[in-house]
Amino acid sequence: MAEAGRSVKRFYLLLGVIAVAGIALIVRAATSGPGAPLVIADCGGPPLGGVPAAGQALGPDTAPVQITEYADFECPSCARFAILTMPDVQQRLIPTGKLRWQFMDFPLQQHVNSPLAHVAAACGADQGRFWEMEYALYDHQDDWFADQRPERKFLAYARAVGLNPDSFQVCLTQRRHWPTIEANRCTGEKLGVNGTPTVYVNGRALSYTPAFDDLTRIVDSVAAAARGPASTRRR
Amino acid sequence: MRHRMAAAALALVGLLVSAYLLLYKLGLVGTLKCVGSGGCERVNTSRYATLLGLPVAAYGVAGYVVLLAVALYGLREDQASLPQATRWLAALAALGVLFSLYLLALELFVIHAVCLWCSVSGLVIVAIFVVSAAALAKASPAP
Repeated sequence: MAEAGRSVKRFYLLLGVIAVAGIALIVRAATSGPGAPLVIADCGGPPLGGVPAAGQALGPDTAPVQITEYADFECPSCARFAILTMPDVQQRLIPTGKLRWQFMDFPLQQHVNSPLAHVAAACGADQGRFWEMEYALYDHQDDWFADQRPERKFLAYARAVGLNPDSFQVCLTQRRHWPTIEANRCTGEKLGVNGTPTVYVNGRALSYTPAFDDLTRIVDSVAAAARGPASTRRR
Repeated sequence: MRHRMAAAALALVGLLVSAYLLLYKLGLVGTLKCVGSGGCERVNTSRYATLLGLPVAAYGVAGYVVLLAVALYGLREDQASLPQATRWLAALAALGVLFSLYLLALELFVIHAVCLWCSVSGLVIVAIFVVSAAALAKASPAP
């Protein structure tokens, strides 16, 4: 009987060890970094795997005005621009056929959650909802930029904009589009982008962040110039 | 006694695995440590990971807590020679096995992804059932 009592006590000790070890593993999993960390590479270093740059575009390829925006999802100015100006661009300028707008990723070194936010937007693009995801990320920027685990919030935005959450989650976990995002950033770096947002109009950088009125004026004048002097004279 | 110890240890392992999955579902674990290409995330973010408004992992936690409690109760001196605890363990584990089979069928034929941690939990519940059923069979008088 005494032997049985000792055996049970030893067993309780073993259970305690299993419990402590299991809880320690769970705590470690909960507090360690989420998934593979995304490190912004040095564009001047070795080639980044040869993945080509590829931004997200609105408007026809043949539009006379080609605007490229280099932006960072954690940058407050980019958020203001995306929230205040881009809806008008999408609703009033893109339908004219005069403008093609291209978004290029430019996550900045100092913005810790920005790389994953760019991946989240690219995962939205996989399901044809890049611009909806872009808007959601900017609109909720204050909620996630300092979050130690922003994945859950990104998943909530993905659901809110109508993405399939399963596919989105897999894409985000695998950091699927990170090489393309890096290629986009390096393309910007080679062009001389050193802040965000930086906007290029037909290859020439604007020295300021344009408001919608500025963009309307630019698009009208550049499109008119592209049609030739005759059309400009008719005005 | 030994089979109840084994059942208690297994139930504790199952409880820890279910708790890990539940914490993930509640947003307290960023990503699940898994093997393969996102099977764990895919299964645990699918709509089948919630049942009657509660995460499936919560049912796992509750089930393993009950199994652990029954197994520990069966280790008390006054219960050692009585078969009730073992009967309860076998009956509860049988329900758990059926539920795990249902979840496995969902993974294989509906979600088309397999979750490592769910499979570990499934193996644990099968092991508890086998241990308890074997002890019951051994204890039953021969016809």
